[in-house]
Amino acid sequence: METGGYVTLTRQSGLMREMQVVANNIANLSTAGFRREGVVFSEYLRQGGEGGSISMANANARVVDLTQGGMSTTGGTFDFAIQGDGFFLVNTPQGQRLTRAGSFTPSAQGTLVTPDGNPLLDAGGTPVTVPAGQIALAADGTLSANGQPFARIGLWAPVDPLALRHQSGTLFDGGAVQPAEGATLLQGMLEDSNVDPVTEVSRMIEVQRAYELGQGFLDREDERLRGVIQTLGR
Amino acid sequence: MKALQIAATGMTAQQMRVDVVSHNLANMSTTGFNARRADFADLMYQQLARPGTVTAEDGTMLPTGIQLGMGVRPAAVSVVLSQGSLSQTGGDLDVAIEGRGYIEVTLPSGAAAYTRDGSLRRSADGEIVTSDGYPVAPGITIPDDARSISINANGEVYAYFLNQTQPQLLGQLGLASFSNEKGLEAMGSNLFLESAASGPVQTGTPGAEGFGTLRQGYLEDSSVDAVREVTELIKAQRGYELNAKVLTAADQMLSATTQVR
Repeated sequence: METGGYVTLTRQSGLMREMQVVANNIANLSTAGFRREGVVFSEYLRQGGEGGSISMANANARVVDLTQGGMSTTGGTFDFAIQGDGFFLVNTPQGQRLTRAGSFTPSAQGTLVTPDGNPLLDAGGTPVTVPAGQIALAADGTLSANGQPFARIGLWAPVDPLALRHQSGTLFDGGAVQPAEGATLLQGMLEDSNVDPVTEVSRMIEVQRAYELGQGFLDREDERLRGVIQTLGR
Repeated sequence: MKALQIAATGMTAQQMRVDVVSHNLANMSTTGFNARRADFADLMYQQLARPGTVTAEDGTMLPTGIQLGMGVRPAAVSVVLSQGSLSQTGGDLDVAIEGRGYIEVTLPSGAAAYTRDGSLRRSADGEIVTSDGYPVAPGITIPDDARSISINANGEVYAYFLNQTQPQLLGQLGLASFSNEKGLEAMGSNLFLESAASGPVQTGTPGAEGFGTLRQGYLEDSSVDAVREVTELIKAQRGYELNAKVLTAADQMLSATTQVR
């Protein structure tokens, strides 16, 4: 049974996927609150001929890297950054979503919304309405206007950390959420993307070379089979 | 090979960032100009293997599955609402707004537009107009024989005459504010229009709750910070180069594939 080619093929398609993940990470180099992704290769066993088994490569799992990104000072009144673990909770037409991108702005109705228009939810799960005046954010998420507290922004975490799924618009679908403790909030700052260009580029080179190696292997496999057929065909 | 398109979205985004930076730098000395900032968000994700897919007969599930991101898109170009510094001009009709608020002007079409540029002028018929000649609401007319004009912090405009010791009150300049100033639609020439996103206009007098005060003889400088824009430019340029590198690598992988016999 000729399996060498098939095994290499599973590796090749996995590498192609990983290249796409790296490309997506680099494309989101300057997306505030973006979290980089990685791909995990796992072994995939197949029953082979003559009672043996064959291991194939399977790139079917991913990791969301939740490392803290850097901070940029913007000076915006409604630019919030989270220092530590936790997410903002926003309401979208599809349901509640988590995000680390803290660039909000008061809407025409006076509620705080994301650039896509999704309202930010406070610790009680209701949208935040902003009164007039000097708005200040305390480290624990309390918002005050001219020194009068009017809302408290809640920080949330998914009950199951593995359930985090990326969604368009720097959002995460986290399933069930629970209040997160221990993180502090900063005003006038935005958290950068946590993509490290150096790591991504080195990963990219690795993927590219591994892919070329695989193609070279397929090339030689092709020659070998050709040789066998020619020898047997004489 | 989607990495090619993904890298292209990254390059487009960084290019837009450079556009925004160059617009800011071009307006470094525009009176009352506020810097703009480009914000990005990631694009949709393609579900290749849904989390929760059963992978074995005993009910083993994929805990995370695999989703592939499709790149980046511009989410917003928003105005950075920070007060620029005030520079003294000494002009009678130069007013800077300290704090929130916009001066309302009337366009030739009769529609209202709003500006932070307080370099006002006196038109041929004595009306107070902007440097583009649009009348400032509520139309205030300066008599021909007025010796000098004084505008106080609350926007009251007084005229002094040669033979009178007491100034004469000509009118009061108002200010306009919006619940979402970032939602105003920019129309160039330092003018903004009300939009569905900005919320309805609220007018008030300078110095009232939620409004700034006026300062005669000063103009508000552009709030563009050159140092910050240049760092932004460097970041955008490097980001662009990185995405171009991904494009090259993806291309080489493709060519490795095509070279297999």
